[in-house]
Amino acid sequence: MTAVIAATNLSKWYGNVLGLNDVTLEIEAGITGLLGPNGAGKSTFMKLITGQMKPNIGTVTVRGRKVWNNPTIFAGIGFCPEHDVFFEDVTGWEFVTGLLRFYGYSGSVIKERAARALDIVELTKDKDRLIRGYSRGMRQRVKFAQAIAHDPEIIVLDEPLSGLDPLGKRKLIKLIKAFRDEGRTVLVSSHVLPEIEALTSRIVLVHQGKILAQGDIPYIRELIEAHPHMISVRSSDPRALAACFVGDRSIQKMSFSPDGRTLVVETHKRDDFFGRLTGAVLEGGIEVEEISSPDDNLQAVFEYLVGK
Amino acid sequence: MATIREKGYTHWDGKLTERRFPWWPITRTGIQLAFRKKRFKFVFAGAFVPSFAFLASLYASERLEDFKAIVQSKEALINITPKYFNAYFTLPFFLFLILLVLAFAAAGLIADDLKHNSLQLYFSRPLRKKDYLLGKMSVIFFFVLILTAVPGLVFIIFKLIFAGSFKFFLDYPWLPLSILGYSALLTVFFAFYVLLLSAWSKNTRYIMVLVFGVYLFSIILHGILQSIFKTPFVALVSILANLRQAGAFLFGQKLPFAVPAIWSFAVLAGICVLSAVVLNWKTRSVEVIK
Amino acid sequence: MNARKSIGEIFGFFFFLGRRTGKTRVFALLGLVPVVLAIVVRAALHGRSGDMAAVFTEILMVFFLQFYIVILSLFYGTSVVAEEIEGRTLSYLITRPLPKPAIVLGKYAAYALLMFLMVAVSLSLSFFILNAGRLADPSLYLKFFGYLGVLGLGILAYTAFFTFLGAVLKRAILVGLVFGFGWENVIQYFPGSTQKFSIVHYLKSVLPYRPTGGGGGRLALLLFKLEPTAPAVAVLMLAVVAGVLLALACWFFRMKEYLYEE
Repeated sequence: MTAVIAATNLSKWYGNVLGLNDVTLEIEAGITGLLGPNGAGKSTFMKLITGQMKPNIGTVTVRGRKVWNNPTIFAGIGFCPEHDVFFEDVTGWEFVTGLLRFYGYSGSVIKERAARALDIVELTKDKDRLIRGYSRGMRQRVKFAQAIAHDPEIIVLDEPLSGLDPLGKRKLIKLIKAFRDEGRTVLVSSHVLPEIEALTSRIVLVHQGKILAQGDIPYIRELIEAHPHMISVRSSDPRALAACFVGDRSIQKMSFSPDGRTLVVETHKRDDFFGRLTGAVLEGGIEVEEISSPDDNLQAVFEYLVGK
Repeated sequence: MATIREKGYTHWDGKLTERRFPWWPITRTGIQLAFRKKRFKFVFAGAFVPSFAFLASLYASERLEDFKAIVQSKEALINITPKYFNAYFTLPFFLFLILLVLAFAAAGLIADDLKHNSLQLYFSRPLRKKDYLLGKMSVIFFFVLILTAVPGLVFIIFKLIFAGSFKFFLDYPWLPLSILGYSALLTVFFAFYVLLLSAWSKNTRYIMVLVFGVYLFSIILHGILQSIFKTPFVALVSILANLRQAGAFLFGQKLPFAVPAIWSFAVLAGICVLSAVVLNWKTRSVEVIK
Repeated sequence: MNARKSIGEIFGFFFFLGRRTGKTRVFALLGLVPVVLAIVVRAALHGRSGDMAAVFTEILMVFFLQFYIVILSLFYGTSVVAEEIEGRTLSYLITRPLPKPAIVLGKYAAYALLMFLMVAVSLSLSFFILNAGRLADPSLYLKFFGYLGVLGLGILAYTAFFTFLGAVLKRAILVGLVFGFGWENVIQYFPGSTQKFSIVHYLKSVLPYRPTGGGGGRLALLLFKLEPTAPAVAVLMLAVVAGVLLALACWFFRMKEYLYEE
């Protein structure tokens, strides 16, 4: 698949502080989650790909075209900034229509697009109210509306879910997924792991200005050989089950949950373990209620990668 | 009731005690923030230029023969009397420099708190409104007193040192009190004036313009009204004129305008009262959004 | 979208926004001060038209030329760039298909027009109130447009300078204050060619008023120590200064990165 956004040896300094450290990355169509703690370099990367900052070293391109001082590419990009800021004393309608003027649309097209965007974010009823009277969630939605009103092919969202209540988050996540289904490219940043997990399985992990890992969550998990996989098996007789594996050298560690009903195993050879588990269950007649991988999630992956 | 096993953050388990001077951390932070601004140090240092110039002339007054040729025309600067001190403290350029320092250091004192909704953070601490305002004012007190009282008292000390006798002090024993009194007046007035404007808007740049704009407008208005009506009472509209009147009164000099000094004090006090009312109204812990 | 259309759209958006802010209302109210003074003077001088004309040219023009247009230009000129950085709304503009210089030029034009309207209303009212007894005189209207033209030129030149400062410096307002109310006030009274290093010198050189032989009487403050430049040269200089500074502002805005203060 051709890269929509490509960064090559991208580095950015703020004085003596390194914001982004030799990043080479390609982002394809679909939803890509940019994940990292505060200060990791996510916003720096987003500002570089939206032309708000100039790289010190390296290049960043969108559809093969350089970004810095190239305003024509923004006809196809929508950006939702992180900061909760707006022009002074404007209503939601004026905000969206005002920014739509800069695309060269006619008056009727502006009105139609603005109405559609505000309808998508469910702000039609409140469009004539001043933005400073909006709730936090409404302000976030109107920011999103201005990012999508001109039907961009690429949408860059910097912490779009911050400040939203759970219902608001669900709605926005659904919206973002709908954009993906239309074939658009969406780049979303967040420091909240469950939000990214809910949006996409394709993530880029950023920490201290570097890309730690890129890919989908299970794929990244597979790469982390240093850490054994954790598998949790809830059964009627976990101790009998444990006895089946005590002699197995691929098992690093076994423990029991506080309620005594779950066996937690750490192993480097996950597939082998599942094969032997099947055999042990059949031979021993042990009833298995649930099998899960507690560390096959973004939190655990991230913690392993940053060494916390 | 379920217990919380993991808070994810740590509480400080010590006992909270009330500070003796609750306004002091605000003042200290305000001063530190001012000095962190890149060009502020330059501006602040520049504001001392008149004091160094006056100090130089103070030295020259003791070495008149050496400087005769240069200073023949500058009578007010070489005869060191209370008039000399009045000239320094009411010099329009000096007051302009004080305003420049305050525009830099103090314009955002309340405006930034309004912009970032910090008032709620302040008042959720054991801090009263008067501590908050005193803390903010003390930032202005610091800068203005350093530019007024300190040089004024240093002038007296250096005069005594250069003269080699206490004659000057014995001739004018009330002069240090005048210096302190007028410095206090300038300090308190500018504190109320700048904070009144700082509380007016969340936009610091706009406030900087207002700090100068209101001051200069009052001077221009005085000039215009004086030209039209030719009465000295129009001087009361000018902040500079009122400060000069007050200074002349406190230093025992002839008043620059034929208006009783009490009226100038009343105008300056009126601005301070207006400021106090506005500050009390604006520094609420809850913001009302219409 | 081409550059001209971009400038037009930016102009429209910010003219619309600028009209509505509280600060514009405050500045517009400030412009009513000479109007009130004109009414008061008219009542006080009982219609002595010669005196009232003198009040306008020698007193109120000081207000307009050395205070009102300077303070307006300082605020709005620095706002062209600084407002977007302080308010963090720059992201909304530079992530649109707009050439960056169009943002500067469009905002400059919007604010210049806004200021011109405020000044024009104030000037018109105060001028015609004070000259109400001479409305039949056609030369009066020439003088009026002359004054309006001078103030318009002043707005264009000062705003261009402050726009440039705002594009280049972080604390442009302070440098602007020192220039507008320090340098401009002081240097114009220096004899010789040092006067030419100020915008106000060229503005005064094109004023449609010259003092009579006696030096303009007691109130010739505006023209005190003025060694005027030829009006055509003065207008050209103002246009060149405005043009060069705007071009530099556009260039800096295009090349510079603006980081928000965290």
